[in-house]
Amino acid sequence: MQAKEFKVKWGMLVDLDKCTGCGACTVACRAENNLPPEADAANKLRTNDWMNIYELSNEKPFPDHEVAYLPRPCMQCGHPSCSTVCPVVATLKDEEGGIVSQVYPRCIGCRYCMAACPYHARYFNWFDPIWPEGMEKVLTPYASARPRGVVEKCTFCHHRFMAAKEQARMNGEDPTELAEDAYIPACAEICPTGAIKFGNLKNPEHEVSKLAASKYAFRLLEKLGTDPQVYYYSKREWVRKLGDNYLKNAKGGEHV
Amino acid sequence: MGLDRRSFISLVAGGVAGSLFTPVIWKTLDDVSIWTQNWPWIPRLQYGEELTFPALCKLGSDAYGVKVKTVGGRPVTAEGNPDHPLSLGGICPLGAASVHLLYSPSRVKNPKLKDGSSFKDITWAEAEELLAGKIREAGSNVAMISGDETGSVTDVLSGLVGKAGSDKSFFMPGESAPAAAALAMLGGDGQVGYDIENANYVLLLGADALGSWGNVARNGKAFSASREKGVKFVYVGPAQNGTSAVADSWVPCNTGTEPVLALGIAAVIAGTSRDRSSWPGFASFAKFVQTAYPLDKVAEITGVKAAVITGLAQELVRAGRPLVLTAAEAGQGLGAFELAAGMSLNMLLQRVNAVGGVRILPWAPKVVEAAADRKTMFANDLVAYLSSVADGGAEAPALLMVYGANPAYALPNLTKAQAAMDKAGFVVSFSSFMDETAAMADLIMPDSYAFERLDDAYSPYGSGQPNYTVVAPVIKPVFDTRPAGDVLLVVAAKAELDLGFESFEDVVKAKAEALGADFDEMVEGAAWVSEEFPAQDLALWTTPLQELAVAAKDGKSLALAPVQRLKIGSAKIAIPPFNTNAIRFDEMLGNDMYVLLNAATAKNLGLKKDDAVKIASSGGECKARVRIFEGVMNDTVVAPLGLGHTAWDAFSRDKGDNVYKLLAADTEAESGLSRFATVRVTVSKA
Repeated sequence: MQAKEFKVKWGMLVDLDKCTGCGACTVACRAENNLPPEADAANKLRTNDWMNIYELSNEKPFPDHEVAYLPRPCMQCGHPSCSTVCPVVATLKDEEGGIVSQVYPRCIGCRYCMAACPYHARYFNWFDPIWPEGMEKVLTPYASARPRGVVEKCTFCHHRFMAAKEQARMNGEDPTELAEDAYIPACAEICPTGAIKFGNLKNPEHEVSKLAASKYAFRLLEKLGTDPQVYYYSKREWVRKLGDNYLKNAKGGEHV
Repeated sequence: MGLDRRSFISLVAGGVAGSLFTPVIWKTLDDVSIWTQNWPWIPRLQYGEELTFPALCKLGSDAYGVKVKTVGGRPVTAEGNPDHPLSLGGICPLGAASVHLLYSPSRVKNPKLKDGSSFKDITWAEAEELLAGKIREAGSNVAMISGDETGSVTDVLSGLVGKAGSDKSFFMPGESAPAAAALAMLGGDGQVGYDIENANYVLLLGADALGSWGNVARNGKAFSASREKGVKFVYVGPAQNGTSAVADSWVPCNTGTEPVLALGIAAVIAGTSRDRSSWPGFASFAKFVQTAYPLDKVAEITGVKAAVITGLAQELVRAGRPLVLTAAEAGQGLGAFELAAGMSLNMLLQRVNAVGGVRILPWAPKVVEAAADRKTMFANDLVAYLSSVADGGAEAPALLMVYGANPAYALPNLTKAQAAMDKAGFVVSFSSFMDETAAMADLIMPDSYAFERLDDAYSPYGSGQPNYTVVAPVIKPVFDTRPAGDVLLVVAAKAELDLGFESFEDVVKAKAEALGADFDEMVEGAAWVSEEFPAQDLALWTTPLQELAVAAKDGKSLALAPVQRLKIGSAKIAIPPFNTNAIRFDEMLGNDMYVLLNAATAKNLGLKKDDAVKIASSGGECKARVRIFEGVMNDTVVAPLGLGHTAWDAFSRDKGDNVYKLLAADTEAESGLSRFATVRVTVSKA
């Protein structure tokens, strides 16, 4: 199946040689998108983290050990596994920019999309989202609060895209030719080490498009053919190999 | 009539197609979405005018500018402030969660007075009268503890204590105090800063500069910009952390022995052919380091190979603008002599008051006459004082006032600190939150939260240049709280102690004026920055040189490497509600925290993954589980500070254990400061 092509293709590039795993992006994402606070959140089986940070290891013993941190938002795949299995068309990739949408009121909570997503980027609301008394006052107006029983995920802070387009129209500019800094998701904006870059992958003037073409850039599980719009970058070979689930002990040293 | 295969398929296909024309299926699917979306309360989004306001985040050890976004007057999110020199658009994980803390379940909503084992609500008038009475009763037997080294509220509180005739003004432990004492040992005077932005080689001796140390947001931006310029970052420490993950290399080094490594490197540099004989203090320093710290000895103490030490020395000498940054992994616990060891390397490399080197910043101007100045306060050691009170060596204060700090949770020698606070006649907490100190206080006068008050910050420790920030309130107090600065001035007046100011705003205006800064411009968001550095006449050492005290290995105990991870809080703040999700599954199992051991160490101890263990030192005990992590030195255990709260709320209470209990402090003879960076512990199955 051919991926749907768009004139604009929003992409993210995370420089793993700059990410310290500090967690600021995770927190900023929650705040921006109205994810509820969760008291017991270390056990990730039933938590809701649109942006999750993984610790990668080269698995060598001390002192040859190396570590890297990998933030993981929704990959906004060119061939999204999630939308093809959704029985109620609650998730779709059909808007300019190539962001995979999630229509919460339409979701029936069957979780087929979660099973299909190879990146574990989708989350089911197991519990009623409850804000401590008064804390609902800091709910942003950007993302509607999702009820229990609904699957949700990162949207590249889609509301910021809408606002940037609106601003461009008000300025008499072309909303399909947004400047690099006109639309930036919360995680990318807040990152203290500037590890997260964002822009139009099809605009050669945007840094993301240049970095994505680097020999050090890679995408997660690229061989599955999902064509993610999130790129990672590392000059460390072991990091790049992990990104494609390289298993040194697998039969023939290949992917499994 | 028979039904052949063709007719059957046509019938089924027709039936299926036909069913799509009925609304039943679609209605049913619609209903399914309603049935599955089962929620008793659905908030409606509130829209309104969107604005941003400059504000300060002091939740970590740092103080830096953020921008608070408001919608219809409600603060909703915080972002980095691109116009602030210590943010440059970056923000730490605590700053990212700062807005939500306005409504944290731990907020103290009104003044409270201890009533048996609980609290009763009182009015502000009652609280102010009560405190004024206690001040009059206590006379000069008062003491104060502040966790805010940068703000003027500390000056007002210290002024109140000073006016009462006491010199017992204390800061919580950190690295500002030993750094100031270290500079004094080298003949300097001022606040130590680091010009990371302009260095072309950065050697981080223990300092988790990108994770928890110093100006984290600004360090991150400087690091990011340095990447494009090919600047090399080398991290030296006992364990891999966020900083080492992105540094060009990690040099494993035994916990707290980084200063020994510094002197080892200094010995190599001093032995090079360059003639430094005319440098003040060089002859005795060179003789000392070459005698006391030969390569093989340094290698044995630090665990760093001799060739690596030599290599680091060569790289530093070759680099055009090297910078050496010395700190404890947890941002506290090193003595002055140890910080001076790192500083001496910068001096050998001629990097003091140089671009891209160590900068000496002037002290903040003193505007509250009766207050102790920063230099004096840094020389007062809180840990030693409280230990002495607990042991009966010093008189317990009749009145103890605590501002911006949580000494009942975050001090080394914690048991003694708690005992000393129990002995104090009357404890007052100026805290926005029900922290451990507030929970044990006799009176809580809740401070308005960061975004509800006028506040200021002068050059947080590590700043590369003098800077001053003033912020106005973003929002009126959402509870019945008042800014501590104003409350203290009211109480001082009631106690008939004249501090020279009627409002806290006047104090801040006076400080801005003393600096030559424009108050009105600053409250609009402009930070004041200066490029003036006091001239220093440094000698390589002005006090007797001595060997660093290193805890002896006994073959049974392990070195403890306490680490700070801002996402789970700091010495001031427990885990914010929005930060629990940033805790990884390999950092906590249920409510048990993980400590890190490498496989060889775990094997020696007969431990395996997830084993419950007891960690014990001469200070106390902690419980944890074992995680095998190969980024840790042999015979070392890494444990996170910031967990194990007994007060606060469901987002932080009883999660993990309090590693401060393990930090047993001793006193550095030369400076009189407490040091606790080389604690040894035993780890055994629980």
